[in-house]
Amino acid sequence: MADPAVASGGSLNAGGRGSGSKAASSPAENYHLARRRTLQVVVSALLTECGFESAEKAVVETLTEMMQSYITEIGRCAKAYCEHTARSIPTLSDTVVTLIEMGFNVDTLPVYAKRSQRMVITAPPVTNPPVTPKALSAGQKRTHPPHIPGHFPEFPDPHTYIKTPTFREPVSDYQVVREKAATQRRDVERALTRFMAKTGETQSLFKDDITAFPLIAARPSAIPYLSALLPSELELQTLEETDSSEQDDQTDSENTAGNIITDDPGADKENSMLPPSGVVPSTKASEDNVIDNPYLRPVKKPKVRRKK
Amino acid sequence: MNRKKDKGFESPRPFKLTHQVVCINNINFQRKSVIGYVELTIFPTVVNLNRIKLNSKQCRIYRVRVNELEAPFIYNDPTLEVCHHESKQRNLNYFSSAYTAAVSAVDPDAGHGELVIKVPSELWKQGDDLKVLKVYIEFSLDQPKGGLHFVVPDVEGSMAERGAHVFSFGYQNSTRFWFPCVDSYSELCTWKLEFTVDASMVAVSCGDLVETIYTHDMRKKTFHYVLPIPTAAPNISLAVGPFEILVDPYMHEVTHFCLPQLLPLLKHSMSYLHEIFEFYEEILTCRYPYSCFKTVFVDEAYVQVSSYASMSIFSTNLLHSAMIIDQTPQTRRCLAQALAQQFFDCSKSQADEWVLKGISGYIYGLYLKKTFGVNEYRHWIKEELDKIVDYELKMGGVLLHPTFSGGKEKDNPTPHLHFSIKHPHTLSWEYYKMFQCKAHLVMRLIENRISMEFMLQVFNKLLSLASTASSQKYQSHMWSQMLLSTHAFLKSISNVSGKDIGPLIKQWVDQSSVVKFFGSFAFNRKRNVLELEIRQDYTSSGTQKYVGPIKVTVQELDGSFNHTLQIEENSLKHDIPCHSKSRRNKKKKIPLMNGEEVDMDLSAMDADSPLLWIRIDPDMSILRKVEFEQADFMWQYQLRYERDVVAQEEAISALEKFPTPASRLALTDILEQEQCFYKVRMQACFCLSRIANAMVSTWQGPPAMKSLFTRMFCCKSCPNIVKTNNFINFQSYFLQKTMPVAMALLRDVQNLCPKDVLNFILDLIKYNDNRKNKFSDNYYRADLIEALTNSLTPAISINNEVRTVDNLNADVRLILEEITRFLNMEKLLPSFRNTITVSCLRAIRQLQKNGHIPSDPSLFKSYAQYGHFVDVRIAALEALVDYTRVERSAVELQWLLIMVQNDPTHYVRHKILGMLCKNPPFTKTTDSTLCNEALVDQLWKLMNSGTSHDWRLRCDAVNLYYTLFGLTRPSCLPLPELGLVLNLKEKKAVLNPTIKPELAVGTVMDTPASIGIHGVGMSYTVDEEPDPISLGVCGVGQPPQGLKRKAETPLGSPPEPGQVLQQQDDDGRGGRYKIRFNTMEDEDIDMETVHDSQAFIHHHLNLLERPSTPGKEPPSVEQSMLSMPATPVPSFSKEATSSASKHGSEHSHHHHHHHHEHKKKKKKHKHKHKHKHKHESKDKEKERERDNSHAYSNSPASGRSLRSPSLSD
Repeated sequence: MADPAVASGGSLNAGGRGSGSKAASSPAENYHLARRRTLQVVVSALLTECGFESAEKAVVETLTEMMQSYITEIGRCAKAYCEHTARSIPTLSDTVVTLIEMGFNVDTLPVYAKRSQRMVITAPPVTNPPVTPKALSAGQKRTHPPHIPGHFPEFPDPHTYIKTPTFREPVSDYQVVREKAATQRRDVERALTRFMAKTGETQSLFKDDITAFPLIAARPSAIPYLSALLPSELELQTLEETDSSEQDDQTDSENTAGNIITDDPGADKENSMLPPSGVVPSTKASEDNVIDNPYLRPVKKPKVRRKK
Repeated sequence: MNRKKDKGFESPRPFKLTHQVVCINNINFQRKSVIGYVELTIFPTVVNLNRIKLNSKQCRIYRVRVNELEAPFIYNDPTLEVCHHESKQRNLNYFSSAYTAAVSAVDPDAGHGELVIKVPSELWKQGDDLKVLKVYIEFSLDQPKGGLHFVVPDVEGSMAERGAHVFSFGYQNSTRFWFPCVDSYSELCTWKLEFTVDASMVAVSCGDLVETIYTHDMRKKTFHYVLPIPTAAPNISLAVGPFEILVDPYMHEVTHFCLPQLLPLLKHSMSYLHEIFEFYEEILTCRYPYSCFKTVFVDEAYVQVSSYASMSIFSTNLLHSAMIIDQTPQTRRCLAQALAQQFFDCSKSQADEWVLKGISGYIYGLYLKKTFGVNEYRHWIKEELDKIVDYELKMGGVLLHPTFSGGKEKDNPTPHLHFSIKHPHTLSWEYYKMFQCKAHLVMRLIENRISMEFMLQVFNKLLSLASTASSQKYQSHMWSQMLLSTHAFLKSISNVSGKDIGPLIKQWVDQSSVVKFFGSFAFNRKRNVLELEIRQDYTSSGTQKYVGPIKVTVQELDGSFNHTLQIEENSLKHDIPCHSKSRRNKKKKIPLMNGEEVDMDLSAMDADSPLLWIRIDPDMSILRKVEFEQADFMWQYQLRYERDVVAQEEAISALEKFPTPASRLALTDILEQEQCFYKVRMQACFCLSRIANAMVSTWQGPPAMKSLFTRMFCCKSCPNIVKTNNFINFQSYFLQKTMPVAMALLRDVQNLCPKDVLNFILDLIKYNDNRKNKFSDNYYRADLIEALTNSLTPAISINNEVRTVDNLNADVRLILEEITRFLNMEKLLPSFRNTITVSCLRAIRQLQKNGHIPSDPSLFKSYAQYGHFVDVRIAALEALVDYTRVERSAVELQWLLIMVQNDPTHYVRHKILGMLCKNPPFTKTTDSTLCNEALVDQLWKLMNSGTSHDWRLRCDAVNLYYTLFGLTRPSCLPLPELGLVLNLKEKKAVLNPTIKPELAVGTVMDTPASIGIHGVGMSYTVDEEPDPISLGVCGVGQPPQGLKRKAETPLGSPPEPGQVLQQQDDDGRGGRYKIRFNTMEDEDIDMETVHDSQAFIHHHLNLLERPSTPGKEPPSVEQSMLSMPATPVPSFSKEATSSASKHGSEHSHHHHHHHHEHKKKKKKHKHKHKHKHKHESKDKEKERERDNSHAYSNSPASGRSLRSPSLSD
């Protein structure tokens, strides 16, 4: 599962920034490379126009880069101006203002455009602008409600904010489910205990082969009753689950066995330790203030005269 | 006979205690020490009270002051070392009598005590006006081995963070272990208790917490308790620790305490306590006697429940969360038990204790009936009855109300026991449990006789009498009315009910033993009469003859009829007319006892007889065992249709003898019947598996219970998979737990567990799924492991090859894999009370025992270590005990015995000895290589001196010794031939030194001017110089030797035994004569051992007990003793002799006791030993003789008559 995710993330990235490092493979990259090639041709033409016979590749590259930046900046600014005036498509005047803003003398533009020695470049090949990849679109995207203008961005895929429906056909055969859950749990437990046994001290039941049935060595603890009496976190968690999760037992029956072991609900231990019969403690808490119990009374300060 | 006379209660003491202050200034958890003082306010009841005897053990006493005047005192504890150590005596009779004597010698109920304080002569005159005396005693305890238990976990942090705590504990009256007091249930006084503890700690004690005050440095605080209700010292307790405090939400006067982090469990476990309170108060129509109640939950508790005045100390292991099913009823029972004991807690004498235990057990039973239902109650009664019957038939009778007084009677009330029942401290624990069990059963019998209503009225009367008495604050003489006695109890019964229960009391209370009936019947068709024959066995041990009414219930076709028969001397046969004619095929419902009418399939029954089933004594109104013979179909009818659970259970156990398809069907039907009591169904499981095994060749269909289990607990669609756990229905939960365990006991023709049963159990484990369950499945899983264990059968071994992994049986491999996984998972996710580890350990032991895996104790040893949960330790120790027996391993036995001596947890020590008794490595009747002299010595040492800090443990050690060696000298010991030679040698060698110690003692005792000498008591033991004096004074030392020698040698003036002492010494020196007495036994002491043993004694006394050790200039004291003029010698020796022989019976009424007792003992020995000729002397010499006979009975060479004629009159 992980690999495709990484790949798609990468391709998204490439789509935005046009990184050339990768061999062109996807249509989106082809599109961008074609544009850039046109730019390079333009730069070379300009150089020739200025009288250069040849140019180093790096120079051409740098100039292309500068050119691209310049054009991009014009586009960006023009868009900003247009949006500033609450429009969605830039007009000529937006571009003009942009150029002025960038310190370009607009009046020289017609003259420059009509100069005699300019070279005519063939139009770049018509390539279709790339379509946004649909790889991750899952489920039905919500359409805008009527009060949201259509030009506003679309809703993201529902899985990003509602849920991820899996499209695998759920295993409905009860026997298989149980079998699978049991095996999975057993495997996990065995792997875990084997691991613990391998990494720690062990005891063995056999003298000839001490690895046969390794038992994790018994280790005395300073306060043995705590672990023996307090419910383990797993048990508490299961308890909570049984309280709340009665409805969707179908879906999680496959993967919870794994989850249970790995999940760590340690954070809210304080709360979860309370027994589910929360009635008594709560009434008690509210009454605590009025209870007159000698053990709750404040400890008195010693009298000065008293000698101990 | 007590109850016949006593109108007013006569105190055995020459004073009345009215008030006691206990102040503990400092509790040091690091060093495990305690410092404090007590102040007793006493009223002398005689003129010229010059000696005060108090109880105190292991306390180090610094000073004693009486009314501000320094008072000399003597401290002597004869129970420290029961028999003189050098003695070669090794027979238990001898030990038991010596031990009883030692305990009697300090028995507060006889007015004795370990601590004898001499009232300064300035105060003597006060006695005339009977003015108040205030006795102030400063004491400390250092690493107490009994009385107080420190739990100090070895982790980082302050004591409070570590959860360190300390609490008082003991077996019966054991308060003397932690402060000087009158340690008797019959001496009541009011109390003021002060405890200064660390500011982070809480001190919980008896009575009302008046205030809590910081000390000046604000680092500590003092808890001030006042107990205005007169209370006996044994009911005083203390618990100090960083407890979490929970005020009961329903009753604000009740406060619960638990160790840090356990508060949620405490909240849950205590949520129903108020119901128990309400129940008791309602039935007794009496308020709870104290104004507050506290429950404290501590780790390493001595017993699960111990009840004290206004507080109870519980084991912390009783706490549980809401997820736990099995522990819940157990915890509730414990709470109910503790509360029941709160209402009645003091008795006049040991002999009246049965009333206390009986009443509290009885009202506890009423609570069970109300909470858990009538079925559970009757089941419990049957269980208890079976228990007591089994015990008495096996071990001999349990006597509720022993009478020891009455001068000339020679009989020991319980000659069959290897210990004395005169003192609680000599009682074996098992006996004591049975005693309590019998007491409440007898109470129930009384209830049967006088009705419950009257019974409760009696209790109410007793309680209101007590509360009236206790409210009379300043009239301490009234307080004795608070003491419960057999007499008062019986009188109250006769007043309230007007019924005479004398015969009942005589039968069950004044006599031990139970009744054993055999019943059979024949139906006389002609007369339409049931001829019932009831025979009794009253000759075997533990049985008695019963004469009186007995109820018989006969279920006939026309209904159920009760008949009351009279059991008389000679009539065995009883004719009971039947009400119904036999009839066939008449479809008519059959009325049952409870009025219900049912259809029955009558085809199984005898066509000629209208009898369905017969029950003898159905109400269990006799303490009896009934073996009744009736046909199998009658048992089957009884099982199916009798509604009483007791009848059903009886039927089930009877059906085991009838492995027929009909029995199988009856059992299966019961199993399936949801209305049936679940414990009956559980029992049916096991019976069914036994029947199936007996029918193995003809059994048809799947293994027993398998289809039933599948139907009840497996999925409909896939019958091989168990449903996900849902334990909401407890009845089926218990059944689900039990069935696999019982199924695993099935065997096929090869006597192996059937393959499909094993696979079935393995599948249960595999598919076990607890995720949707609101209850924990730890007990269920533990039972599944137990099922695996039950399925094991002995491995087929070919010429004893070593067990290796490779030749492991395939099935066993599967089992072992499960066990390994369970055990390992438990390390990561421990289950409640580690039940799974416990089951796994048992399984592993079983695998070893059956030869599947190599037998090896090392795993168990590591689990038995301190630091594991106690249940796990016990399971591991059980395996070790078993290993020791099977492998006859001396190493493991040593290991266990060392643990008995050293383990920090008293309960574990107790358990080890208990398990060794139950599963002994060898017994007195079998030979074993383990049985050797060293072991005898070791065990002897253990019970003689190694367990002096814990009565219960000492009795356990005695039990073990009895189990291993019996009453007489262990057979593995060499004949003590050398005794005589050595004695002769000794006679010559040690004449002088042996006189000296006597002198020293005498000096101490008899010079009243010895204010400065009050340290003498200690000097005995502190003394390091192995000289005869110190030895002699050790409380176990030589004086008797000297004495004896004198007696033997014509030189010595033959003392007039008894008289002198009695005249001179009327205020008693219980403390001292004990010494003498004990030492008396050592006639056969040999010089060779003396010096070594001196060192040993010093070592022991100093290290183990430090009985009394102010250690103020011991040398000088010794000096003074030595330098005393020699003139008083004769009188001292006389006195000593006489005291020894009198065995401390200064007060005339005690006098009788002792004589009586000694005679009894003597009688006992007479038929045990061959040297009867030595027993002919007069009363006064009895005891001496007895010792003598012990000493020499085993030594064929001991022709020498130690007791020369001069002595024996």
